[in-house]
Amino acid sequence: MSIIRFENVHFSYPDSDRDSLCGVDLEIEEGSFVAVLGHNGSGKSTLAKHMNAILLPTGGKVFVNGIDTADEQRLLDVRRCVGMVFQNPDNQIVANVVEEDVAFAPENLGVPPEEIRERVDSALRTVGMFEYRQHAPHLLSGGQKQRVAIAGVIAMQPRVLVLDEPTAMLDPQGRREVVATVTRLCRESGMTVVLITHHMEECVGADRLVVMSNGKIAADGTPGEVFSQVELMEREGLDVPETVRLCFDLNKAGFSLPLDILQAEPCADAVMRASDESPAFTAARCGRDRKDQ
Amino acid sequence: MLKDITLGQYFPGDTVAHRLDPRTKLILVFLYIVALFQASGWAGYALVLAATVACMAVSHISPRSIFKGLKPMLFIIALTALLNIFYTTGRPIVPGWIITWEGIERAVKMMLRITLLIAGTFLLTYTTSPMELTDGLELLMNPLKKLRVPVHEMTIMMSMALRFIPTLIEETDKIMSAQKARGADFETGNLLQRARALLPILVPLFVSAFRRADELAVAMESRCYHGGEGRTRMKQLSMERRDAIAFACGLLLLAAVIVLKHWRL
Repeated sequence: MSIIRFENVHFSYPDSDRDSLCGVDLEIEEGSFVAVLGHNGSGKSTLAKHMNAILLPTGGKVFVNGIDTADEQRLLDVRRCVGMVFQNPDNQIVANVVEEDVAFAPENLGVPPEEIRERVDSALRTVGMFEYRQHAPHLLSGGQKQRVAIAGVIAMQPRVLVLDEPTAMLDPQGRREVVATVTRLCRESGMTVVLITHHMEECVGADRLVVMSNGKIAADGTPGEVFSQVELMEREGLDVPETVRLCFDLNKAGFSLPLDILQAEPCADAVMRASDESPAFTAARCGRDRKDQ
Repeated sequence: MLKDITLGQYFPGDTVAHRLDPRTKLILVFLYIVALFQASGWAGYALVLAATVACMAVSHISPRSIFKGLKPMLFIIALTALLNIFYTTGRPIVPGWIITWEGIERAVKMMLRITLLIAGTFLLTYTTSPMELTDGLELLMNPLKKLRVPVHEMTIMMSMALRFIPTLIEETDKIMSAQKARGADFETGNLLQRARALLPILVPLFVSAFRRADELAVAMESRCYHGGEGRTRMKQLSMERRDAIAFACGLLLLAAVIVLKHWRL
Protein backbone atom coordinates (compact mmCIF):
# COMPACT_ATOMS: atom_id res chain seq x y z
CA MET A 1 0.00 0.00 0.00
CA SER A 2 1.31 3.45 -0.79
CA ILE A 3 1.78 5.73 2.20
CA ILE A 4 2.12 8.96 0.19
CA ARG A 5 0.17 9.60 -3.00
CA PHE A 6 0.43 12.63 -5.29
CA GLU A 7 -2.44 13.00 -7.75
CA ASN A 8 -1.74 15.40 -10.62
CA VAL A 9 -0.23 17.97 -8.23
CA HIS A 10 0.35 21.50 -9.46
CA PHE A 11 2.00 24.19 -7.39
CA SER A 12 3.21 27.70 -7.97
CA TYR A 13 4.63 30.09 -5.38
CA PRO A 14 2.47 33.19 -4.85
CA ASP A 15 5.01 35.63 -6.30
CA SER A 16 6.00 33.50 -9.28
CA ASP A 17 4.28 33.01 -12.64
CA ARG A 18 6.07 29.71 -13.26
CA ASP A 19 4.71 26.42 -11.94
CA SER A 20 7.17 24.77 -9.54
CA LEU A 21 5.30 21.50 -9.85
CA CYS A 22 3.31 20.74 -12.97
CA GLY A 23 1.22 17.62 -12.86
CA VAL A 24 3.16 15.30 -10.55
CA ASP A 25 1.78 11.80 -10.05
CA LEU A 26 3.75 9.81 -7.53
CA GLU A 27 3.13 6.94 -5.13
CA ILE A 28 5.54 6.03 -2.39
CA GLU A 29 5.38 2.51 -1.01
CA GLU A 30 5.58 1.95 2.73
CA GLY A 31 8.99 0.71 3.85
CA SER A 32 10.85 1.74 0.72
CA PHE A 33 13.89 3.99 0.36
CA VAL A 34 13.17 6.53 -2.35
CA ALA A 35 15.75 9.04 -3.53
CA VAL A 36 14.68 12.17 -5.38
CA LEU A 37 17.39 13.65 -7.56
CA GLY A 38 17.38 16.94 -9.44
CA HIS A 39 19.42 20.07 -9.82
CA ASN A 40 18.54 23.44 -8.31
CA GLY A 41 15.10 24.69 -9.25
CA SER A 42 13.88 21.30 -10.43
CA GLY A 43 11.07 21.31 -7.88
CA LYS A 44 12.45 18.56 -5.65
CA SER A 45 12.30 20.61 -2.42
CA THR A 46 8.83 21.85 -3.31
CA LEU A 47 7.83 18.22 -3.77
CA ALA A 48 9.22 17.36 -0.31
CA LYS A 49 7.36 20.22 1.38
CA HIS A 50 4.08 18.85 0.05
CA MET A 51 4.62 15.60 1.92
CA ASN A 52 3.86 17.04 5.37
CA ALA A 53 1.58 19.90 4.41
CA ILE A 54 4.13 22.71 4.76
CA LEU A 55 2.95 23.57 1.26
CA LEU A 56 -0.49 22.72 -0.09
CA PRO A 57 -1.03 21.98 -3.78
CA THR A 58 -2.61 24.74 -5.87
CA GLY A 59 -4.04 21.99 -8.07
CA GLY A 60 -4.49 18.26 -7.54
CA LYS A 61 -4.26 16.43 -4.22
CA VAL A 62 -1.71 14.89 -1.89
CA PHE A 63 -2.70 12.02 0.39
CA VAL A 64 -0.64 10.91 3.37
CA ASN A 65 -1.74 7.59 4.81
CA GLY A 66 -5.09 8.23 3.15
CA ILE A 67 -5.49 11.72 4.66
CA ASP A 68 -5.84 14.69 2.31
CA THR A 69 -3.09 17.15 3.36
CA ALA A 70 -5.45 20.06 2.66
CA ASP A 71 -7.67 18.89 5.55
CA GLU A 72 -6.78 21.36 8.31
CA GLN A 73 -8.57 19.33 10.95
CA ARG A 74 -6.07 16.51 10.50
CA LEU A 75 -2.91 18.56 10.04
CA LEU A 76 -1.31 17.09 13.17
CA ASP A 77 -2.04 13.54 12.00
CA VAL A 78 -0.26 14.28 8.73
CA ARG A 79 2.75 15.83 10.45
CA ARG A 80 2.94 13.01 12.98
CA CYS A 81 2.99 10.50 10.13
CA VAL A 82 5.61 12.27 8.00
CA GLY A 83 8.68 13.69 9.76
CA MET A 84 10.85 16.20 7.95
CA VAL A 85 14.56 16.94 8.27
CA PHE A 86 15.84 20.15 6.67
CA GLN A 87 19.00 21.38 5.08
CA ASN A 88 20.46 23.58 7.80
CA PRO A 89 20.88 21.65 11.06
CA ASP A 90 21.32 24.87 13.09
CA ASN A 91 17.90 26.16 12.17
CA GLN A 92 15.94 23.11 13.25
CA ILE A 93 17.46 22.44 16.65
CA VAL A 94 15.32 24.17 19.26
CA ALA A 95 17.04 23.37 22.56
CA ASN A 96 20.45 23.96 24.13
CA VAL A 97 20.90 20.33 25.13
CA VAL A 98 20.78 17.44 22.68
CA GLU A 99 18.30 15.28 24.59
CA GLU A 100 15.92 18.17 25.25
CA ASP A 101 15.85 18.91 21.56
CA VAL A 102 15.03 15.30 20.72
CA ALA A 103 12.22 15.45 23.29
CA PHE A 104 10.61 18.47 21.61
CA ALA A 105 8.34 16.60 19.18
CA PRO A 106 6.96 14.00 21.64
CA GLU A 107 6.40 16.83 24.14
CA ASN A 108 4.32 18.65 21.54
CA LEU A 109 2.28 15.50 21.01
CA GLY A 110 1.51 15.22 24.71
CA VAL A 111 3.29 11.89 25.22
CA PRO A 112 3.60 10.88 28.91
CA PRO A 113 7.02 11.81 30.43
CA GLU A 114 8.30 8.24 31.01
CA GLU A 115 7.55 7.32 27.41
CA ILE A 116 9.27 10.48 26.13
CA ARG A 117 12.40 9.41 28.03
CA GLU A 118 12.32 5.98 26.35
CA ARG A 119 11.69 7.42 22.90
CA VAL A 120 14.51 9.96 23.28
CA ASP A 121 17.02 7.35 24.43
CA SER A 122 16.10 4.92 21.69
CA ALA A 123 16.11 7.64 18.99
CA LEU A 124 19.56 8.82 20.11
CA ARG A 125 20.86 5.24 20.09
CA THR A 126 19.47 4.68 16.60
CA VAL A 127 21.44 7.60 15.17
CA GLY A 128 24.50 6.81 17.31
CA MET A 129 24.41 10.03 19.35
CA PHE A 130 23.48 8.60 22.75
CA GLU A 131 26.85 9.50 24.33
CA TYR A 132 26.28 13.11 23.29
CA ARG A 133 22.85 13.44 24.92
CA GLN A 134 24.01 16.06 27.45
CA HIS A 135 26.05 18.09 24.95
CA ALA A 136 25.27 21.53 23.62
CA PRO A 137 24.27 21.22 19.94
CA HIS A 138 26.33 24.19 18.74
CA LEU A 139 29.53 22.39 19.77
CA LEU A 140 28.83 19.34 17.57
CA SER A 141 30.03 18.81 14.00
CA GLY A 142 27.66 19.31 11.08
CA GLY A 143 27.08 15.59 10.58
CA GLN A 144 26.43 15.10 14.29
CA LYS A 145 23.97 18.00 14.38
CA GLN A 146 22.11 16.57 11.42
CA ARG A 147 21.94 13.17 13.16
CA VAL A 148 20.49 14.91 16.23
CA ALA A 149 17.93 16.52 13.94
CA ILE A 150 17.07 13.08 12.55
CA ALA A 151 16.72 11.73 16.11
CA GLY A 152 14.43 14.68 16.91
CA VAL A 153 12.14 13.60 14.10
CA ILE A 154 12.17 9.85 14.69
CA ALA A 155 11.34 10.39 18.38
CA MET A 156 7.97 11.46 16.98
CA GLN A 157 7.71 7.89 15.58
CA PRO A 158 6.65 8.89 12.09
CA ARG A 159 6.04 6.29 9.40
CA VAL A 160 7.86 8.30 6.78
CA LEU A 161 11.09 10.25 7.12
CA VAL A 162 11.53 12.95 4.50
CA LEU A 163 14.97 14.54 4.28
CA ASP A 164 15.19 17.73 2.26
CA GLU A 165 18.82 17.98 1.12
CA PRO A 166 20.12 16.99 4.56
CA THR A 167 23.71 16.79 3.31
CA ALA A 168 23.93 20.02 1.34
CA MET A 169 25.81 21.87 4.09
CA LEU A 170 27.98 18.99 5.27
CA ASP A 171 31.52 17.86 4.53
CA PRO A 172 32.06 14.42 2.90
CA GLN A 173 32.49 12.75 6.30
CA GLY A 174 29.20 14.21 7.59
CA ARG A 175 27.46 13.26 4.35
CA ARG A 176 28.50 9.63 4.75
CA GLU A 177 27.34 9.59 8.41
CA VAL A 178 23.90 10.93 7.50
CA VAL A 179 23.34 8.67 4.49
CA ALA A 180 24.49 5.60 6.43
CA THR A 181 22.11 6.52 9.27
CA VAL A 182 19.03 6.88 7.07
CA THR A 183 19.87 3.75 5.09
CA ARG A 184 20.09 1.80 8.34
CA LEU A 185 16.80 3.30 9.54
CA CYS A 186 15.04 2.08 6.44
CA ARG A 187 16.63 -1.39 6.37
CA GLU A 188 16.49 -2.17 10.10
CA SER A 189 13.44 -0.27 11.38
CA GLY A 190 11.42 -0.52 8.18
CA MET A 191 10.85 3.22 8.07
CA THR A 192 9.91 4.72 4.73
CA VAL A 193 12.67 7.14 3.71
CA VAL A 194 12.44 9.87 1.08
CA LEU A 195 15.85 11.43 0.50
CA ILE A 196 15.96 14.63 -1.54
CA THR A 197 19.44 15.35 -2.86
CA HIS A 198 21.53 16.61 -5.70
CA HIS A 199 24.41 14.25 -4.96
CA MET A 200 24.16 11.35 -7.36
CA GLU A 201 26.25 9.02 -5.19
CA GLU A 202 23.73 9.21 -2.32
CA CYS A 203 21.06 7.64 -4.52
CA VAL A 204 22.98 4.48 -5.34
CA GLY A 205 21.76 2.58 -2.27
CA ALA A 206 18.08 3.51 -2.70
CA ASP A 207 15.32 1.13 -3.79
CA ARG A 208 13.92 3.67 -6.17
CA LEU A 209 15.19 6.81 -7.82
CA VAL A 210 12.97 9.64 -9.03
CA VAL A 211 14.53 12.37 -11.17
CA MET A 212 12.81 15.75 -11.12
CA SER A 213 13.17 18.34 -13.84
CA ASN A 214 11.23 21.57 -14.32
CA GLY A 215 8.53 20.50 -11.92
CA LYS A 216 7.95 17.16 -13.63
CA ILE A 217 9.14 13.63 -13.04
CA ALA A 218 11.76 13.00 -15.73
CA ALA A 219 12.65 9.44 -14.76
CA ASP A 220 11.46 6.93 -12.20
CA GLY A 221 12.74 3.43 -11.49
CA THR A 222 15.46 1.52 -9.68
CA PRO A 223 18.78 3.43 -9.56
CA GLY A 224 20.18 0.96 -12.11
CA GLU A 225 17.31 1.59 -14.54
CA VAL A 226 17.48 5.36 -14.15
CA PHE A 227 21.24 5.75 -14.36
CA SER A 228 21.44 3.55 -17.45
CA GLN A 229 19.58 6.29 -19.34
CA VAL A 230 22.84 8.19 -19.61
CA GLU A 231 21.73 10.60 -22.36
CA LEU A 232 18.66 11.62 -20.37
CA MET A 233 20.75 12.23 -17.25
CA GLU A 234 23.20 14.33 -19.26
CA ARG A 235 20.34 16.38 -20.67
CA GLU A 236 19.21 17.07 -17.09
CA GLY A 237 22.71 18.15 -16.16
CA LEU A 238 23.12 15.27 -13.71
CA ASP A 239 26.06 12.97 -13.19
CA VAL A 240 25.93 9.20 -13.44
CA PRO A 241 28.07 6.86 -11.30
CA GLU A 242 31.60 6.30 -12.62
CA THR A 243 30.87 2.63 -13.31
CA VAL A 244 27.97 3.55 -15.60
CA ARG A 245 30.09 6.23 -17.26
CA LEU A 246 32.87 3.71 -17.93
CA CYS A 247 30.54 1.13 -19.43
CA PHE A 248 28.79 3.79 -21.50
CA ASP A 249 32.06 5.04 -22.97
CA LEU A 250 33.27 1.48 -23.66
CA ASN A 251 30.01 0.75 -25.45
CA LYS A 252 30.66 3.73 -27.69
CA ALA A 253 33.94 2.05 -28.60
CA GLY A 254 32.14 -1.07 -29.74
CA PHE A 255 31.52 -3.04 -26.56
CA SER A 256 28.11 -4.11 -25.32
CA LEU A 257 28.19 -3.79 -21.55
CA PRO A 258 25.13 -3.50 -19.29
CA LEU A 259 24.63 0.07 -17.97
CA ASP A 260 22.92 -0.74 -14.68
CA ILE A 261 26.01 -1.75 -12.67
CA LEU A 262 26.55 0.67 -9.79
CA GLN A 263 29.27 -1.02 -7.74
CA ALA A 264 32.98 -1.13 -8.57
CA GLU A 265 33.55 -4.91 -8.16
CA PRO A 266 30.76 -6.21 -10.44
CA CYS A 267 31.73 -3.53 -12.95
CA ALA A 268 35.33 -4.73 -13.02
CA ASP A 269 34.12 -8.32 -13.52
CA ALA A 270 31.86 -7.31 -16.39
CA VAL A 271 34.63 -5.36 -18.08
CA MET A 272 37.03 -8.31 -17.73
CA ARG A 273 34.49 -10.73 -19.20
CA ALA A 274 33.72 -8.39 -22.08
CA SER A 275 37.38 -7.87 -22.84
CA ASP A 276 38.00 -11.64 -22.98
CA GLU A 277 35.22 -12.01 -25.50
CA SER A 278 36.03 -9.00 -27.64
CA PRO A 279 38.38 -9.79 -30.57
CA ALA A 280 39.31 -6.12 -31.04
CA PHE A 281 40.37 -5.74 -27.42
CA THR A 282 42.27 -9.06 -27.39
CA ALA A 283 44.15 -8.06 -30.54
CA ALA A 284 45.04 -4.69 -29.04
CA ARG A 285 46.28 -6.32 -25.85
CA CYS A 286 48.38 -8.89 -27.77
CA GLY A 287 49.95 -6.06 -29.75
CA ARG A 288 50.85 -4.20 -26.57
CA ASP A 289 52.21 -7.40 -24.97
CA ARG A 290 54.47 -7.99 -27.97
CA LYS A 291 55.79 -4.43 -27.77
CA ASP A 292 56.61 -4.93 -24.07
CA GLN A 293 58.75 -7.91 -24.94
CA MET B 1 36.61 38.38 21.09
CA LEU B 2 32.92 37.68 20.68
CA LYS B 3 33.42 34.11 21.87
CA ASP B 4 34.14 35.45 25.36
CA ILE B 5 30.56 36.46 25.98
CA THR B 6 29.14 33.86 28.32
CA LEU B 7 25.96 35.68 29.23
CA GLY B 8 23.06 33.29 29.47
CA GLN B 9 25.24 30.25 28.88
CA TYR B 10 24.65 26.89 30.48
CA PHE B 11 27.43 24.58 31.67
CA PRO B 12 26.03 21.06 31.84
CA GLY B 13 26.91 19.19 35.02
CA ASP B 14 25.56 16.92 37.68
CA THR B 15 25.95 18.73 40.99
CA VAL B 16 23.34 19.43 43.65
CA ALA B 17 23.00 22.92 42.21
CA HIS B 18 22.24 21.45 38.79
CA ARG B 19 19.69 19.03 40.21
CA LEU B 20 17.73 21.61 42.19
CA ASP B 21 14.30 22.42 40.85
CA PRO B 22 14.51 25.50 38.60
CA ARG B 23 11.62 27.07 40.52
CA THR B 24 13.63 26.74 43.70
CA LYS B 25 16.61 28.35 42.05
CA LEU B 26 14.54 31.22 40.68
CA ILE B 27 13.06 31.93 44.09
CA LEU B 28 16.49 31.57 45.70
CA VAL B 29 17.93 34.14 43.32
CA PHE B 30 15.09 36.44 44.24
CA LEU B 31 15.79 35.95 47.97
CA TYR B 32 19.50 36.42 47.28
CA ILE B 33 18.91 39.76 45.54
CA VAL B 34 16.67 40.96 48.36
CA ALA B 35 19.32 39.93 50.88
CA LEU B 36 22.01 41.69 48.85
CA PHE B 37 20.06 44.95 48.87
CA GLN B 38 19.30 44.60 52.57
CA ALA B 39 22.97 44.22 53.42
CA SER B 40 24.39 47.52 54.67
CA GLY B 41 27.28 46.75 57.01
CA TRP B 42 30.48 44.89 56.24
CA ALA B 43 29.26 41.83 58.12
CA GLY B 44 26.18 41.65 55.90
CA TYR B 45 28.26 41.90 52.74
CA ALA B 46 30.69 39.30 54.04
CA LEU B 47 27.78 36.94 54.69
CA VAL B 48 26.36 37.33 51.19
CA LEU B 49 29.85 36.96 49.73
CA ALA B 50 30.37 33.77 51.73
CA ALA B 51 27.02 32.45 50.50
CA THR B 52 27.99 33.19 46.89
CA VAL B 53 31.36 31.47 47.26
CA ALA B 54 29.64 28.47 48.88
CA CYS B 55 27.19 28.25 45.97
CA MET B 56 30.05 28.43 43.49
CA ALA B 57 31.85 25.62 45.29
CA VAL B 58 28.72 23.46 45.39
CA SER B 59 27.99 23.95 41.70
CA HIS B 60 31.64 23.53 40.57
CA ILE B 61 31.59 26.88 38.79
CA SER B 62 35.09 28.34 38.69
CA PRO B 63 35.59 32.01 39.68
CA ARG B 64 37.28 32.43 36.28
CA SER B 65 34.07 31.86 34.36
CA ILE B 66 32.25 34.33 36.62
CA PHE B 67 34.93 36.97 36.03
CA LYS B 68 34.74 36.31 32.31
CA GLY B 69 31.06 37.09 32.43
CA LEU B 70 31.75 40.22 34.48
CA LYS B 71 34.07 41.68 31.85
CA PRO B 72 31.41 43.43 29.77
CA MET B 73 30.11 45.03 33.00
CA LEU B 74 33.47 46.39 34.12
CA PHE B 75 32.75 49.83 32.69
CA ILE B 76 29.50 50.20 34.60
CA ILE B 77 31.10 48.92 37.80
CA ALA B 78 34.01 51.34 37.46
CA LEU B 79 31.74 54.27 36.67
CA THR B 80 29.53 53.57 39.69
CA ALA B 81 32.60 53.32 41.92
CA LEU B 82 34.03 56.61 40.62
CA LEU B 83 30.77 58.49 41.08
CA ASN B 84 30.49 57.21 44.63
CA ILE B 85 34.08 58.16 45.46
CA PHE B 86 33.66 61.74 44.28
CA TYR B 87 30.10 62.48 45.26
CA THR B 88 29.96 61.25 48.84
CA THR B 89 30.37 63.83 51.57
CA GLY B 90 32.18 62.97 54.79
CA ARG B 91 35.68 63.01 56.24
CA PRO B 92 38.30 63.72 53.54
CA ILE B 93 41.30 61.34 53.53
CA VAL B 94 43.60 64.33 53.14
CA PRO B 95 42.23 67.65 54.42
CA GLY B 96 40.88 69.70 51.54
CA TRP B 97 40.50 66.71 49.18
CA ILE B 98 37.19 65.80 47.59
CA ILE B 99 37.79 62.09 48.22
CA THR B 100 36.34 60.97 51.53
CA TRP B 101 36.62 57.82 53.63
CA GLU B 102 32.86 57.42 53.36
CA GLY B 103 33.13 57.72 49.58
CA ILE B 104 35.69 54.94 49.39
CA GLU B 105 33.63 52.75 51.65
CA ARG B 106 30.52 53.29 49.56
CA ALA B 107 32.38 52.76 46.31
CA VAL B 108 33.76 49.42 47.51
CA LYS B 109 30.32 48.37 48.73
CA MET B 110 28.68 49.36 45.44
CA MET B 111 31.27 47.43 43.46
CA LEU B 112 30.75 44.45 45.69
CA ARG B 113 26.99 44.73 45.35
CA ILE B 114 26.97 44.86 41.55
CA THR B 115 29.57 42.08 41.27
CA LEU B 116 27.62 39.84 43.63
CA LEU B 117 24.36 40.64 41.87
CA ILE B 118 25.79 39.56 38.52
CA ALA B 119 27.59 36.55 40.02
CA GLY B 120 24.34 35.36 41.62
CA THR B 121 22.35 35.54 38.41
CA PHE B 122 25.20 33.88 36.51
CA LEU B 123 25.11 31.02 38.97
CA LEU B 124 21.48 30.54 38.01
CA THR B 125 22.03 30.51 34.24
CA TYR B 126 25.25 28.49 34.47
CA THR B 127 23.60 25.66 36.40
CA THR B 128 20.14 25.68 34.82
CA SER B 129 19.53 24.77 31.20
CA PRO B 130 17.44 27.39 29.39
CA MET B 131 14.73 24.79 28.87
CA GLU B 132 14.52 24.13 32.62
CA LEU B 133 14.67 27.83 33.32
CA THR B 134 11.78 28.58 31.01
CA ASP B 135 9.86 25.58 32.39
CA GLY B 136 10.37 26.94 35.88
CA LEU B 137 9.32 30.44 34.86
CA GLU B 138 6.28 29.11 33.06
CA LEU B 139 5.16 27.16 36.11
CA LEU B 140 5.85 30.05 38.49
CA MET B 141 3.89 32.42 36.27
CA ASN B 142 1.08 29.92 35.64
CA PRO B 143 -1.42 31.84 37.76
CA LEU B 144 -1.00 34.77 35.34
CA LYS B 145 -2.54 32.66 32.57
CA LYS B 146 -5.89 33.33 34.19
CA LEU B 147 -5.31 37.02 33.47
CA ARG B 148 -4.72 36.06 29.80
CA VAL B 149 -0.99 36.74 29.98
CA PRO B 150 0.59 34.65 27.17
CA VAL B 151 2.97 32.89 29.56
CA HIS B 152 3.84 29.93 27.32
CA GLU B 153 4.53 32.15 24.31
CA MET B 154 6.75 34.43 26.38
CA THR B 155 8.78 31.59 27.85
CA ILE B 156 9.28 29.78 24.53
CA MET B 157 10.46 33.04 22.95
CA MET B 158 12.94 33.45 25.75
CA SER B 159 14.31 29.93 25.38
CA MET B 160 14.66 30.36 21.59
CA ALA B 161 16.54 33.62 22.10
CA LEU B 162 18.93 31.91 24.51
CA ARG B 163 19.34 28.95 22.15
CA PHE B 164 20.39 31.19 19.27
CA ILE B 165 22.89 33.38 21.13
CA PRO B 166 25.88 31.11 20.32
CA THR B 167 24.71 30.57 16.74
CA LEU B 168 24.38 34.29 16.10
CA ILE B 169 27.72 35.02 17.75
CA GLU B 170 29.35 32.50 15.43
CA GLU B 171 27.60 34.13 12.50
CA THR B 172 28.77 37.60 13.54
CA ASP B 173 32.33 36.33 13.71
CA LYS B 174 31.99 34.89 10.22
CA ILE B 175 30.55 38.09 8.76
CA MET B 176 33.25 40.18 10.46
CA SER B 177 35.97 37.98 8.98
CA ALA B 178 34.34 38.22 5.55
CA GLN B 179 34.18 42.01 5.76
CA LYS B 180 37.72 42.24 7.08
CA ALA B 181 38.92 40.12 4.18
CA ARG B 182 37.45 42.73 1.89
CA GLY B 183 39.25 45.55 3.68
CA ALA B 184 36.71 46.63 6.29
CA ASP B 185 38.26 48.37 9.27
CA PHE B 186 36.62 47.99 12.67
CA GLU B 187 39.48 49.06 14.91
CA THR B 188 40.52 52.57 13.95
CA GLY B 189 38.73 55.90 13.72
CA ASN B 190 36.62 57.80 16.19
CA LEU B 191 33.49 56.45 17.84
CA LEU B 192 31.20 57.58 15.00
CA GLN B 193 33.38 56.03 12.31
CA ARG B 194 33.59 52.79 14.20
CA ALA B 195 29.84 52.70 14.74
CA ARG B 196 29.36 53.25 11.03
CA ALA B 197 31.80 50.42 10.27
CA LEU B 198 29.49 48.08 12.17
CA LEU B 199 26.65 48.68 9.72
CA PRO B 200 27.94 46.19 7.11
CA ILE B 201 27.88 43.59 9.90
CA LEU B 202 24.45 44.36 11.27
CA VAL B 203 22.60 44.32 7.96
CA PRO B 204 23.60 40.79 6.87
CA LEU B 205 23.21 39.61 10.46
CA PHE B 206 19.62 40.82 10.58
CA VAL B 207 18.81 39.37 7.18
CA SER B 208 20.16 35.98 8.19
CA ALA B 209 18.43 36.11 11.59
CA PHE B 210 15.10 36.59 9.84
CA ARG B 211 15.82 33.74 7.45
CA ARG B 212 16.77 31.53 10.39
CA ALA B 213 13.58 32.46 12.23
CA ASP B 214 11.54 31.52 9.19
CA GLU B 215 13.22 28.13 8.81
CA LEU B 216 13.01 27.48 12.53
CA ALA B 217 9.27 28.15 12.52
CA VAL B 218 8.74 25.64 9.69
CA ALA B 219 10.93 23.07 11.45
CA MET B 220 8.99 23.53 14.72
CA GLU B 221 5.66 23.13 12.95
CA SER B 222 6.98 20.03 11.22
CA ARG B 223 7.60 18.60 14.66
CA CYS B 224 3.96 19.16 15.58
CA TYR B 225 4.44 22.32 17.62
CA HIS B 226 1.04 23.90 18.10
CA GLY B 227 1.38 26.14 21.13
CA GLY B 228 1.36 25.21 24.78
CA GLU B 229 -1.94 23.39 24.70
CA GLY B 230 -1.71 19.69 25.55
CA ARG B 231 2.06 19.82 25.82
CA THR B 232 3.89 17.48 28.20
CA ARG B 233 7.47 17.68 29.41
CA MET B 234 10.12 14.99 29.45
CA LYS B 235 11.69 16.32 32.62
CA GLN B 236 8.95 16.60 35.17
CA LEU B 237 9.72 19.17 37.80
CA SER B 238 9.35 17.92 41.32
CA MET B 239 10.27 19.42 44.64
CA GLU B 240 12.58 17.18 46.64
CA ARG B 241 14.05 17.34 50.10
CA ARG B 242 17.08 19.20 48.73
CA ASP B 243 14.76 21.94 47.51
CA ALA B 244 13.35 22.36 51.01
CA ILE B 245 16.88 22.55 52.42
CA ALA B 246 17.84 25.10 49.80
CA PHE B 247 14.78 27.19 50.64
CA ALA B 248 15.69 27.04 54.31
CA CYS B 249 19.24 28.20 53.53
CA GLY B 250 17.94 31.07 51.41
CA LEU B 251 15.53 32.26 54.06
CA LEU B 252 18.21 31.89 56.73
CA LEU B 253 20.56 34.08 54.70
CA LEU B 254 17.92 36.75 54.26
CA ALA B 255 17.03 36.65 57.98
CA ALA B 256 20.69 36.84 59.02
CA VAL B 257 21.32 39.82 56.76
CA ILE B 258 18.28 41.65 58.13
CA VAL B 259 19.36 40.94 61.72
CA LEU B 260 22.88 42.19 60.98
CA LYS B 261 21.41 45.34 59.44
CA HIS B 262 19.36 45.86 62.55
CA TRP B 263 22.49 45.58 64.68
CA ARG B 264 24.28 47.97 62.29
CA LEU B 265 27.12 45.53 61.73
